Amino acid sequence: MTDPTPPRRRAGRLVARALLIAGLLALADPAAVAHAAPRAVPGPSPTTPIDHFVFLMQENHTFDNYFGTRPGVDGIPAGTCMPVRRGQAEPCVRPFHLGELGSLDLDHSAEAFRVQYHDGRMDGFVEGVSTQGKNGKLAMAYYDDRDLPYYWNIADEYVLFDRFFSSANSGSIRNHMYRVTGSPGATGPAESIPPGGWGDIPTIFDRLEAAGISWKFYVENYDPTITYRSRTSEEDVDRGAQVIWVPLLAYARYVDDPRLFGKIVDLDQYYEDAAKGQLPAVSFIAPAGDSEHPPGSVRAGQTLVRTLLTQLMRSPNWNSSAFLWSYDDWGGWYDHVPPPQVDRYGYGFRVPALLVSPYARRGYVDSTTLDFTSALKFIEVNWRLKPLAERDGKASTFLDAFDFDRPPRPAVFLGTERKPAVVTRPDPVPVYASYAITGSLVVALVGVAARRRRQWT
Amino acid sequence: MSVTRSPVEEVEHDRRVATVVLHAVGSSSEATPDSRNTGRERGWRRWAVPAALVGIAALALFLRVWQLDALGFNSDEAVYAGQAASLAGNPNYTPFFPVFRAHPMLFQTLLSPFFRTGEVDVAGRVVVATLGVATVLAVHLLGARLYGRRVGLVAALFVAVMPYHVIVTRQVLLDGPMVLFATLTLYCLVRFVQGQQVLWYVATGAMLGVTMLTKETSVVMAGGVYAFLALTPMVRRPVRLSVLAVAAMLAVFLTHPVSQALAGRSQTGKSYLVWQLFRRPNHSMGFYAETVPAAMGLLVVAAAVGGLWWLRRHRSWRETLLLSWIAAPVVFFQLWPVKGFQYLLPAAAPVAVLAARALTGMPVPERIRRLLRRADRPRDAGATRAVRAALVAVVALSLLVPSWNAVNRADNATFLAGSGGVPGGREAGRWLAANTPKGSVVLTLGPSMANIIQYYGHRRSYGLSVSPNPLRRNPAYEPLPNPDRWLRNNELQYVVWDSFSAGRSAFFAERLMVLTRRYHGRVVHTEYVDGTDRTGARVPVPVIIIYEVRP
Repeated sequence: MTDPTPPRRRAGRLVARALLIAGLLALADPAAVAHAAPRAVPGPSPTTPIDHFVFLMQENHTFDNYFGTRPGVDGIPAGTCMPVRRGQAEPCVRPFHLGELGSLDLDHSAEAFRVQYHDGRMDGFVEGVSTQGKNGKLAMAYYDDRDLPYYWNIADEYVLFDRFFSSANSGSIRNHMYRVTGSPGATGPAESIPPGGWGDIPTIFDRLEAAGISWKFYVENYDPTITYRSRTSEEDVDRGAQVIWVPLLAYARYVDDPRLFGKIVDLDQYYEDAAKGQLPAVSFIAPAGDSEHPPGSVRAGQTLVRTLLTQLMRSPNWNSSAFLWSYDDWGGWYDHVPPPQVDRYGYGFRVPALLVSPYARRGYVDSTTLDFTSALKFIEVNWRLKPLAERDGKASTFLDAFDFDRPPRPAVFLGTERKPAVVTRPDPVPVYASYAITGSLVVALVGVAARRRRQWT
Repeated sequence: MSVTRSPVEEVEHDRRVATVVLHAVGSSSEATPDSRNTGRERGWRRWAVPAALVGIAALALFLRVWQLDALGFNSDEAVYAGQAASLAGNPNYTPFFPVFRAHPMLFQTLLSPFFRTGEVDVAGRVVVATLGVATVLAVHLLGARLYGRRVGLVAALFVAVMPYHVIVTRQVLLDGPMVLFATLTLYCLVRFVQGQQVLWYVATGAMLGVTMLTKETSVVMAGGVYAFLALTPMVRRPVRLSVLAVAAMLAVFLTHPVSQALAGRSQTGKSYLVWQLFRRPNHSMGFYAETVPAAMGLLVVAAAVGGLWWLRRHRSWRETLLLSWIAAPVVFFQLWPVKGFQYLLPAAAPVAVLAARALTGMPVPERIRRLLRRADRPRDAGATRAVRAALVAVVALSLLVPSWNAVNRADNATFLAGSGGVPGGREAGRWLAANTPKGSVVLTLGPSMANIIQYYGHRRSYGLSVSPNPLRRNPAYEPLPNPDRWLRNNELQYVVWDSFSAGRSAFFAERLMVLTRRYHGRVVHTEYVDGTDRTGARVPVPVIIIYEVRP
């Protein structure tokens, strides 16, 4: 049997029915319809339960430098002894605990990488530092849970990546550019910010803006007067580093547009936003004095990370958030894993990276090969954005570090005690037994006294 | 002016003989005119006393459990309940409350089966309330043994409704159970004096040992026993038997150190004793005079004192015993630098007995009796009984009203240790448990609030006012030597201000607020009680404020 109704009339009837149903619903619950009315154009909803992604970049350490002695990870191989001179097995320097010894700002330029990498032989770590006139042995120093108890506790509870590479085989400028653009920025032999800024290189924030997704760049001790136009080279190691660590400050369009410039804010704003549950979808954080950049204090850096996580964990946004932090380059320290060379600029050596989220797998070591553009990839996948460059387009991401099948974990503040004080509960049996025996004896004594009538004379 | 003879006068006491020769209470009552009543009346009386006792016990229980849960634990309650829970292995409390702290563990051991899981507070208080009712019954036994059933009943009624006893036995404190055992000790001593049985003498020592196992400060009651025996030479107490009684006391008390040693601890008690010996006074010398008589009931105290006067001709070893029992804690704790509202509670029972004795035996002026006497029954003693019953009722009512007010005062804004719960404390702790991540560390103004937060919030808490000097702090408390550094290092994530502690220490209150401001304190929760403003209008008064802090 065929339907005699023409298709156009049938479609018209369907539309009419739909309108009728919508009208009835509106009559039944006008408030719901009012709520459903668009108030503002929302950004696309994320593809995962992560509504708030926070990415902090600390400074200058390798994976082996921080976690090389940690069991269960790809750490420092047994018997490691780094030649003082490349190609000569002896003399050599064994990895040692830095402890109370002071650290130095070891050379971490492209040339230092070349010497230390030594075409994949990985035997130039001491020489790469000593050729710069510094004590090359220091490159073989490491920290462990005595120095980094909080980070190690975090690794116990959340996710530690042991194949997370810095994106560039050179210093901070390229690595930070990879972090926000998926490309090195400085493409010539020199690694410097062009006098006119980064020009039209697209950033992840351009993508977010275009998609209507909220973002902010939080900067510790932020000084908005320091941009690529005002900084001087002498300031590279001081406050001028702000322009390197916040590449947006080297973009004319971000500096000159008050709306965009207003999204680069002091770190204090992060605490307020988190407390109110108003974190944007994507937050990038740049440190200042707490960056752990040698010879800075690693403990100060731990305190910064701990404070940021504390605020996130007590934020209403916690249940839909992920916090990733890593280190912008290797800082001259030893790491034993040869970095894959995917192109002319990288990868660089492995860097520590950890992920904290209510969905993060507990005590999980993720060995996926990742780099800073993996964070861009995560943002692009989560909010359905187009890749920025070839690197982030091809990058792996860290979705395996999450377990979205389980409900979000409640937050737990981790301490800086690596081995929390063990609560020893005394054996209760002697306590119960002794009081029970004594009580019984006294009751028996009174009972006997009450029953005996004979007077004492 | 003629007086009516009281039952006291009917008890013989020959002060001239070397040993006390007494008729048993039962036999003395047989000699009263009551014994000449008809069989029907005797039957009625046989049921009247138990019925009255049940009624008194029911009233006592009602006052002790009415709105028992209105306020959460105070600091001491939190500590004792926490110890009991830790002993029971309750995982919510073992990290925060060590099993052994300052006192012996008899009461905590009794409590612990109720604290095995979850958050328990009402059950602990019900246990104490039950022991409080048992004390009321023990007072009846004591009064009846000393002066007859009528005095026993009236004394039990007074204790049942006495605000002092009601308030303390609504809390998980050691003092309520301790007073039960102290009263039983007194009862054993009376039995010894009356019966001259060695076993009662030994039982007195053993029961005093149990009292000390509840709270070791009750050793001062041994001073009461000694004073009584010293003042009453006619009571025979050969040295060898006294040594036996003391040995029984020590043997019972040894349970505490022995159980502690067997369980693996030995130092806690010693440290606490050293601290108690050298700590600074916490109240003025007038503290007890200002608080305790009113809590016992001014009419009760007046009756007890008055009775000693108007029944002075009938003074016997009984009054010496009761006065010795009262004097021991009063003198000791008056001189002791550390004072606590509930410390004089052992005196409540003898005061009640003395007051009952006074009111049931008080002289009634002839003029009043004549007014009440029926014309056709000129020799009827009912008028005297009516006057005395009215006085007993007035005194009982004078106790009942403040007790009723006390148990209904859910928004109590005072903070006298031992006098009740802390408004908002439980709620603040529960808020922290529900709204802060596990592992949060809290800075409170003083250790009292820290205990409450740890009990209800399950969050490690430190009192700012706890001195780093070991001679100046309770050894059970952990000081925070440099709170500023802890805050700077994000080791502390919350600060709790409370009006009770702030009222006691303006210095530390100001210091806490300086730290709170310095570390970006943000109010995240406030607990209020009802108060009144200048116009008398009811307004919410903040009593506890929780701040979120960060470096």
